[in-house]
Amino acid sequence: MDATKIKSALADVTAERDPTIKSLKMASLCGALWAERGVQLVVVGGSAIEILTEGAYASGDLDMCHVTKTSLPMRVRQEIMGLLGAKGGPRNWQVAGMFVDVLGPVESFARTPFRRVRAPYGDVLLMKPEDLLVERVLVSVYPGENKTARDCAKVMASAALRKEIEMDWVEVRRVANLPEYRNFAECVKLVKEVADELKIKSPLHSD
Amino acid sequence: MNSKSKVPCIPIEGSISWEDWLKGRRARRESSHLVAPGVIRRKSSSSDRRLKKLFHGQRGLPFIPTEKL
Repeated sequence: MDATKIKSALADVTAERDPTIKSLKMASLCGALWAERGVQLVVVGGSAIEILTEGAYASGDLDMCHVTKTSLPMRVRQEIMGLLGAKGGPRNWQVAGMFVDVLGPVESFARTPFRRVRAPYGDVLLMKPEDLLVERVLVSVYPGENKTARDCAKVMASAALRKEIEMDWVEVRRVANLPEYRNFAECVKLVKEVADELKIKSPLHSD
Repeated sequence: MNSKSKVPCIPIEGSISWEDWLKGRRARRESSHLVAPGVIRRKSSSSDRRLKKLFHGQRGLPFIPTEKL
């Protein structure tokens, strides 16, 4: 991406007042610049949930991880983010009226692909909804009840049950039964509760 | 299943276009609000200091109202 394109993209992201579009455009711009240097980024956590669900959940920071095994050397990271006029680093920056965090290697257990949005400056990879749902259900229960995580899991389930996100429910079952989670019963319960509210049959329910 | 959506779906394989992602925003927000109404943004986190400084006491930009999506 040449300097003129970067300047124009940066002006666009800076002027954007819609927090979800701003995050997605920033992920697109950062993703393109990192990918040019061989490192693929994926949007994770609340930012990914927001882009997938519009659940009014995310805060003003964009969390990303790298899909590729290694990240970029610190010096290169600082140079790339410097192209965007970023402040701070080497893992989090203030840029274009928001914060960008690049946290490290992505932690994913689902065998499904990362979801992909063809955004204005390049494709954006999003964390797999199967991982996000199982993880939010876990956090909603352990180490103690967490209403925000529960609401978040519910919006994920709702979007999937209403076919706005394509979810692999077999994979949800497998991931939730892994030793890393062991929360399949809690997932079944939450998805059934949402399905009942929506008057849809739960794909995790056996009867 | 009785409420199959006509909203563009974010697929497992391939990608969703920018236009389709934008087109589906309102429906996704409405789906979310059916089960978790209002803003469900966390009230606090370890990033509060920097967030509240940048966003004038808030933890991020305000969300666009559903009717304007």
